[in-house]
Amino acid sequence: MKVKHLWFLFISLFLVVLVACSNGEEDASTNEDSTGDTNTSLTTDENAEDTNDEVVTLVYARGADSTNATDKIVEEFNKLHPNIQVEFREMPADTGQQHDAYVTMFNAGSSEIDVMDLDVIWPAEFAQAGYVLELDRFIQQEGMDLNAYNQGALSASQYNGKQWALPKFIDTGLLFYRTDIISEDQVPTTWDELLTLAKDNQGAAGNEFGYLMQAKQYEGLVCNAVEFIASYGGSFLDENGEVVVNSPETIKGLQKLVEFATADFVPGNVTTFAEPESHTAFIEGQSAFIRNWPYQWNLANDENESSIVGNVGVAPLPAGDAGSAAALGGWQTAINKHSEHKQEAFEFLKFMTGPEGQKLSAIHGGLAPTLPELFEDEEILEANPFFAEEGFVEGLNAAVSRPVAPNYPEVSEIIQINVSKAIAGEMTVEEAVESMEKELTAVMQ
Amino acid sequence: MRKVSKEKRREQRAGFLLVAPSLALILVIAIWPVIQSFYFSLHDYQLSDPTKSTIHHSYTFDLERYLNNEPFILSAIDQQQDVPNEALESLTGVKQQLVDLDQQLRDIPEIEANYETMNEMLMNFEVPSDEMKYITINREFGRTYETTIEEINEEMDLLTEHYELQQEDKLTGLTDALTESIIEPNFIGLSHYENQLTNIRMWQALWNTIVFTVISVGFELVIGLAIALLINKAFFGRGIVRASILIPWAIPTAVSALMWKYLYDGQNGIVAKYFSDIGLIERMSTLLTTDTGAMFAVIFSDVWKTTPYMALLLLAGLQTIPNGLYEAASIDGANKWRQFWHITLPLLKSSLLVALLFRTLDAFRVFDLIFVLTGGGPANSTETISVMAYKFMFSQTNFGEGSALAVIVFICVAIISAIYIKFLGSDLLTDDVKK
Repeated sequence: MKVKHLWFLFISLFLVVLVACSNGEEDASTNEDSTGDTNTSLTTDENAEDTNDEVVTLVYARGADSTNATDKIVEEFNKLHPNIQVEFREMPADTGQQHDAYVTMFNAGSSEIDVMDLDVIWPAEFAQAGYVLELDRFIQQEGMDLNAYNQGALSASQYNGKQWALPKFIDTGLLFYRTDIISEDQVPTTWDELLTLAKDNQGAAGNEFGYLMQAKQYEGLVCNAVEFIASYGGSFLDENGEVVVNSPETIKGLQKLVEFATADFVPGNVTTFAEPESHTAFIEGQSAFIRNWPYQWNLANDENESSIVGNVGVAPLPAGDAGSAAALGGWQTAINKHSEHKQEAFEFLKFMTGPEGQKLSAIHGGLAPTLPELFEDEEILEANPFFAEEGFVEGLNAAVSRPVAPNYPEVSEIIQINVSKAIAGEMTVEEAVESMEKELTAVMQ
Repeated sequence: MRKVSKEKRREQRAGFLLVAPSLALILVIAIWPVIQSFYFSLHDYQLSDPTKSTIHHSYTFDLERYLNNEPFILSAIDQQQDVPNEALESLTGVKQQLVDLDQQLRDIPEIEANYETMNEMLMNFEVPSDEMKYITINREFGRTYETTIEEINEEMDLLTEHYELQQEDKLTGLTDALTESIIEPNFIGLSHYENQLTNIRMWQALWNTIVFTVISVGFELVIGLAIALLINKAFFGRGIVRASILIPWAIPTAVSALMWKYLYDGQNGIVAKYFSDIGLIERMSTLLTTDTGAMFAVIFSDVWKTTPYMALLLLAGLQTIPNGLYEAASIDGANKWRQFWHITLPLLKSSLLVALLFRTLDAFRVFDLIFVLTGGGPANSTETISVMAYKFMFSQTNFGEGSALAVIVFICVAIISAIYIKFLGSDLLTDDVKK
């Protein structure tokens, strides 16, 4: 017995020591962090004094760019600003991986990157976590007019009443159709019209399907759901972050989504479809319609890959009771809060998200500008005749952002699961909406 | 007598000393992570939320965050023009509340000491150090601050409901953000467990895990035993059969999961096509898009992949059974079936126990196969508890909740091991003693 007691004592002592050790480690690391911070602020001070005669090097990060637009922007900016030299750092192309890389870096208070691009769903999270610098003071100083921007894209980079980034390019969901099957005056303007047309044209011109969408349990499903729901006037969260999902409008929109996803004219396994599956089926000529992002246009007209070159038309997504709505995608540019050259970083940010930078990325990268005036620019239209398509511009104007929340991944997951269950028939749409209301309320507190 | 016992005790002590290092090692590598997870699971620990991104045991005030918001609210209120008198009155009230609160804050010596310097630093876009911005405050003041901000927020909500304000978004947003200046202690006791135990999603995930484990281990056991008996026989080409049977086990799980994903595909999958041709499933797409289909698909891949491992473990057991026993039995007139039932099975018992225990624990923690093959879908019908823990921890960076799930997995695994050892192991132990 005694021996047992002794052992118990030994083990508990051992545990106490271990716990103490680990706490010690944590403390030590925070201390290290904070001293690091003091150092950076000191260096900032010094730099601030002699920016005039010294060349400052900025590091700009974004996901791998397959076009040369980024190089062009950097080159042009460096030419115009001999005092500031920008270096481009490539990050992983996958947005999830990129997110994780930034989170790791910024959590440690790193200052190695000064300016970076953020996916449209990150700003709230990054703002709340204190990774990015608020731009209000700069915007005020420069007297910039934010009304020139596409307001949907602009509001995606606002959180808690402040501007955390500026929109660089915009992406929205669009409806693409086969011009050899659907004539121009036949293009559907409402979801119900699309439903009939997709049903009637299944089988036309060797088609297997009438309509393609993304219904897998992943982020793309949230985009599809936002489009259906907003076009019937519903939404998940209002602008104050209150949960408003349980409304007749949302139910109606979601019912329409379920009607499409379970129709005979979509692939039977549409619930395993993300972008690659759906665009492959479309460019192989298997469907009359598809909902996808703007890149679908170039891909469908690529002679090496597509069998429907020249037979593709684009239109805004069909309307519900409340008009047409498209999910907003795109990227924003922000400044690292721990950057050592914030003034210069803002200079670059302003250039890139301003008319000059956006023009370069539209011409060389085929990206849609967030400054509506640029859609009338001759040079841009020459490089991208697609931008002049009425359907495209209308689609952009109908952009609706996904729910804005600092814990967006959690919100997105709740939507994905419940919408999936509604499509699978495990829940009625009403039940799915109720369960979303309950779960969203719990995580939005 | 005395001498003997003294010697014995010394021997005992030496024995303990000899095992002490290994015990310490077990503590460090096996028990320590569990304790760490348990410690995290008692806190509301979320990386994405600055007020919860580390473990705090006392009230802390984030001066930087405060100074980044408060002055802007005051100026936004001042800029507010053309409002009805009542609205203006309540705005002035809010302003007065903010000014009073600010004064109370500055009465705290640690805050007063840094207030002006920090303000200046922020104007110059400098980042203050953690020591400067985090100030420990007492609980009482923390509560006062929180209730005042709550009152202000309610006032703002009322205001925006009744009146049109030009600065509406700015005002509500900024006042909301004031709450984030107070960092509450985030020790929450067993709340995460309470949440999870009342969460239908957790029970469904647990149920999925149990269904997956029981069915796949059951099939693996039967098929694995059959294969083991077969390759235990001497026949021509036995070496090649033994080697080739191991191929599925040798392929990394993520790779084989991806392979099966293509085989099950609703449009081009060969396996899906054959299954629907022979009428096993209704349509090709059934496999990955319905709940039972997806569960079947996952179990089928797992059985394919791990049966060889089971067979290998059982084969090792079979080879320890002396051939003489079978010879004696057949001389006594026992047929093959009786031999299997009375010689093979009893003598294989310890190997069976080991194989079952290994596989059950493995199957219970299944992650990679499901993550790649179905990602937990469709509609969460194949989400196991490990997949769920991964989603909480890494995609939502909610370490507290995820740790609670990890601890729940650990408890389940401990229960399973205990049951196995109780029902199968006790027999083994008594057998050993008799021998």
